Amino acid sequence: MKIENKSIREINSLFQKKELKPSEFYHKIFDNTAQSESVIHAHLKLFEEENRNKAVQSDERFAKDQSLGLLDGIPIAIKDNINIKGYQTTCSSKMLSEYVSPYNATVINKLDQQQTIFTGKTNLDEFAMGSSTENSAYGLTKNPWNTECVPGGSSGGSAASVAARSSIAALGSDTGGSIRQPAAFCGLVGYKPTYGTVSRFGLIAFASSLDQIGPITKYVDDARILYNSIKGYDSKDATSITDEQIKIPSDKTAKVGVIKELMEEGISDDAKKEVEKVINILKAQGVEVIEVSLPLIKLAISIYYLIAPAECSANLARFDGVRYGLRVEGKTSYEMMEKTRAEGFGSEVKRRILLGTYALSAGYFDAYYGKALLARKNMIDEFNKIFNQVDYLISPTTPTAAFKAGEKTSNPLEMYMSDLCTIPANLAGLPSISVPTGLSKEKLPLGVQVMSKALTDDSLLDFAELIEKEVSFNDEPSDWIK
Amino acid sequence: MNYQPTIGIETHIELKTNSKMFCRCKVVDTDEPNVSLCPTCLGLPGALPVPNKRAIEFITLLALSTNCKITKQGMFHRKNYFYPDLPKNYQISQFDLPVGLDGSLSIVLNEIESEVAIERVHMEEDTGKSTHMGSGRIDSATSTALDFNRSGVPLVEIVTKPVIKSAKEAVAYIEELRQLALDLGISEGKLEKGNLRFDANISVASPDSNVLGTKVEIKNMNSLRSLERAIDYEIERQSKALSNGDVIVQETRHWDEGKEVTKSMRSKEGSADYRYFSDPDLPNMVLDDEFVNEIKAQMPKLPIEKRTELIKTGLTLSEANILSKSDSWIIELFQNVYSSTKNPGTTYNWIMGELQGQIRKLDISKPPYWFKSESLSEIINLIESNKISFSSGKIILASILENDSTPDEIAKQQNLYQENDSDKILEIVKNVITENIKVIERIKNGEDKLIGFMVGQVIKSSGGSINPGIAKELLTKELEE
Repeated sequence: MKIENKSIREINSLFQKKELKPSEFYHKIFDNTAQSESVIHAHLKLFEEENRNKAVQSDERFAKDQSLGLLDGIPIAIKDNINIKGYQTTCSSKMLSEYVSPYNATVINKLDQQQTIFTGKTNLDEFAMGSSTENSAYGLTKNPWNTECVPGGSSGGSAASVAARSSIAALGSDTGGSIRQPAAFCGLVGYKPTYGTVSRFGLIAFASSLDQIGPITKYVDDARILYNSIKGYDSKDATSITDEQIKIPSDKTAKVGVIKELMEEGISDDAKKEVEKVINILKAQGVEVIEVSLPLIKLAISIYYLIAPAECSANLARFDGVRYGLRVEGKTSYEMMEKTRAEGFGSEVKRRILLGTYALSAGYFDAYYGKALLARKNMIDEFNKIFNQVDYLISPTTPTAAFKAGEKTSNPLEMYMSDLCTIPANLAGLPSISVPTGLSKEKLPLGVQVMSKALTDDSLLDFAELIEKEVSFNDEPSDWIK
Repeated sequence: MNYQPTIGIETHIELKTNSKMFCRCKVVDTDEPNVSLCPTCLGLPGALPVPNKRAIEFITLLALSTNCKITKQGMFHRKNYFYPDLPKNYQISQFDLPVGLDGSLSIVLNEIESEVAIERVHMEEDTGKSTHMGSGRIDSATSTALDFNRSGVPLVEIVTKPVIKSAKEAVAYIEELRQLALDLGISEGKLEKGNLRFDANISVASPDSNVLGTKVEIKNMNSLRSLERAIDYEIERQSKALSNGDVIVQETRHWDEGKEVTKSMRSKEGSADYRYFSDPDLPNMVLDDEFVNEIKAQMPKLPIEKRTELIKTGLTLSEANILSKSDSWIIELFQNVYSSTKNPGTTYNWIMGELQGQIRKLDISKPPYWFKSESLSEIINLIESNKISFSSGKIILASILENDSTPDEIAKQQNLYQENDSDKILEIVKNVITENIKVIERIKNGEDKLIGFMVGQVIKSSGGSINPGIAKELLTKELEE
C-alpha cells in the first residue's frame, strides 16, 4: 500500500517505530502537492517553508520517543474559513483578500498542541456558501476523480486535497452539508459532529446555529482521531457544550431506520443503490433495518434557506471596510461601506444576504424567519421521536454523484437541492457521517450518510466503522494524474 | 390653548464591571483611543461573544429594585444597523424577553411622591465612539476617527412608559434612577463621563384628548440642565406648532446645547428597521428563582428605604429626598446628630447648609477625620439651650473643622458662653443706663433705634458674653419704668 494511503494510526506507528520520519513523510506529501495543485487547486496557500522546520522538529521528538500524540507530524489541510494566527484567512472572498488573522481558532490551538503540520489553507465557496466550490473568488477546485467535475462544497478544497493526497486529512466546516457532501463527491469520510462539541471560536461564521467544524478523512478512524483532538468545551464559545457522550449500540444489536423521504424522487438510482447495498450488508450482519418516515424532512431545504441566510445577513454585516479587509473609498462612511460590500462580496453571498435581510424585515419576520424557527423545532421533535425507535438513520449523502463544473451555476435552486439529505442534521444539531461506499455508473464516488441522536458521536463513529469495514471501498482517484 | 405634555425617557447606564459585556477586555477610563480591544469587541471574523455574568447580576439588581417582573428565560437579540463605530454592524441587545418588565420607580417632586411606570429593563452592549471630522455629522464629515475602547462595555437600558408630565419630573426621575444605580453599586453614575445617557420621547396633546400626540425623540442631552431645557423647549415648540395648525412629524431631534434649541436629524438611522432576531451565538439568559434569590440577598438599602427612614425623623418629604441622595457620611452624620438633638429641621439645616458651606470654603470633600458627630450635636444643643449664640455656633464649627478640639474648649477659649443670669445682666444694664443718661433721654423722646446701641453697650461692657435677648428685654423694661 502506498504510504500516503495509510491511516493516521498506521503512519503514527511507522513514526514511532522509526521506520519513517515525519520529515520524509512530509516531503512525500509535498511532492504529491507539487503535482496535484496545478491540476486540482485544492489549496489557496501552502505553508511549505515553515512546515519543513516543523517536520524536522517532529523527527526529533519521535527520535527521543517524546512525540506529542497521534497527530504529531501529520499533514492536515485547513479550510480557509478557520483562523490561523499570522496567516491570511480569505474565506475565498475578495472581501478578505489581504486579511491576516491576529489569533488562532480554538481547533487550531488544539491541533498545535500536538504539533500537527498544517499543509496550508484550502479553497471553499465564498464564506462557505455553496455546494461546488465554484463560488470562490480564487478559482475552481477540481474533483480528483474526474477533473471536469466539482469536488462539492463548500469544503471542496479540503476534500480535494485529501483525495489527491496533498494532505492526510483536512478540517472543514459544515453548515448544511459542507463537509459530508464534498467528502461523498471525493470518495472520503466526512463527519459533522454534534453541534456544540467542537468550538466555533475562530471559525468565520456563516450561520452560527448550524456551523460546525469537522474532519474530512480517508478512514472513519482518522475522523475519530481528529474529532477527539479538536472537541471539548471552550469557554470562548457560549454555544460550546461539555462532551458527555451517550452510548448506544454500535454492533449488530443496533437498530437502523432508512429515511423513506430520502429514498424517493429527487434521489438518483445510483445513490439509492448505495443505500440498498449498505442495508443488505447490515441485514446480513443481523442488524435490524426498518423504514421510517420523517415527513418534515421535505421542508428542510425551505427551512434552511430562511434560517441560514437570516443569520448570515447579520454575521456578514461586519465586513464593511471600516476596520479590516477590502475598502473601496467613498465620499462618506456610508458610501465607503456600500461600495466595499458591492465590490467585496460575490453574487451567491449577496443573494443570501438579501434573502436573509428580507426574511428578517418588519412585516415579513413572522411569515418567514419566525415560521422557519417553528418548523425547525417541529423537525427536531420528529427526530427525537424517531430516535426512540431506532439508533441510527441512514440515507444517501447526496442525491447524485459529483456534477460537472458549470452545470448548476445558473440555477441556484438546483444547486441547493444537492444538500437535501445533509441539511436536516444541521437543523437538528445531530452528529452525521458520510461513509464512501461505491462508484456511480460514471465511476464517481458515492457515500451513505448515517445520523444518530445528539452526543452519540462515539457510537456513531463505531457504527460507521462497521459499515466501512463491510463495504470495503478501496478505490482511489487517478483522473488528475495525467 | 394649554397643551398637555407626555414624556417617556430611555436611559442607558454604563455598568461598573471590570470587563466588557462579551469579552474579557478591561473597561477603561482613558482618552487614549483603542487601548482595550480584542477580536470579540472589535468584531473580527470568527470571534464570539461570551456573556459577562456580573453584568447580568447588576441588571437583575436594577430590575428587582425597580419592581420589575424578571424574565426567567431571557434572550439576547441582535439589533441590526450599520454604523462605523458598531464593529459587527449589529448590537447585541434584548428584544421581547428583557431581564425585567413592568416595574416602577418612586420619585419626589414638590413635596409629592409619585410612581414612574417602567416598561422594561434590559441589557445592551455599548458602541465605540465616532468623531466626525470637518462637520460633526456622519453624512458631511471629511473623515471619521474611531475609538473602540467603549465598544462592548455593558449597559443597562431603562425605558419608562409615557407617563412623565413635565421637565422637572423628568429631572427628578433621572436623579432618583442615578441614586439607585449608585446605591446598588452598579455604576459610577457620572453624567459628565457619559455613564448615564438619556433620550426623551415627547408629545403634546390638548387636555381633553384621550390619545397621545405624535412623539418626537430628543437625543444628545448631556446634563440634567440640558434635559430640563430641551424638554421645555420641545413642549413649547410642539405646542406652538399645534396652535398654528401645523402637524407634528414623528422624528428624532438633536438638542443643540449652544443654541438651546432642538434640531431635526435627517440621517439614515432615523427610519431603521432593526430586524431583531435572537442571537444564535448566545444561549438563553436563564434567570431562575435560585439566581434571583441570590441577587435579592445582595440587595443593599435602596434610596426609597433611606428616604422612608428619614421621613420618620420628621423631615419634610423634600428634605428627606435630598438627604437620601447625599453621600453616605452625610446621612450617617444626620442620623447621629438627630438622635441627640431630636430636632430634624435644625439638624438638617446645620448639615446641609452651614457644614457643607464651610467644607466647600475649605475646599475639602468631607470633614477632617477628627470631626465627630457629637461636636455638631453639642453645638446645636448649646444654641438651643441659649448657652451660646447662633453666630458663636458657626465660629465653633469653623474652629473644629480646622483643629481637633471640642465645642466646650472653643467656647471657653473664645469666651463664647452667654451670661443668662438676669440679676447679673440687670446690674450691668443699670450701670450702662447711668453712664448714658443723654442717650436715654433721646430714646424717651422717640429715637427707638438707639435701643440697639444701648444693647451693644451692655454686651460690650460684659465682655461680649451676655445673651443679647435677655439684655434687650431687661433694658426695655428699665426704660419703661
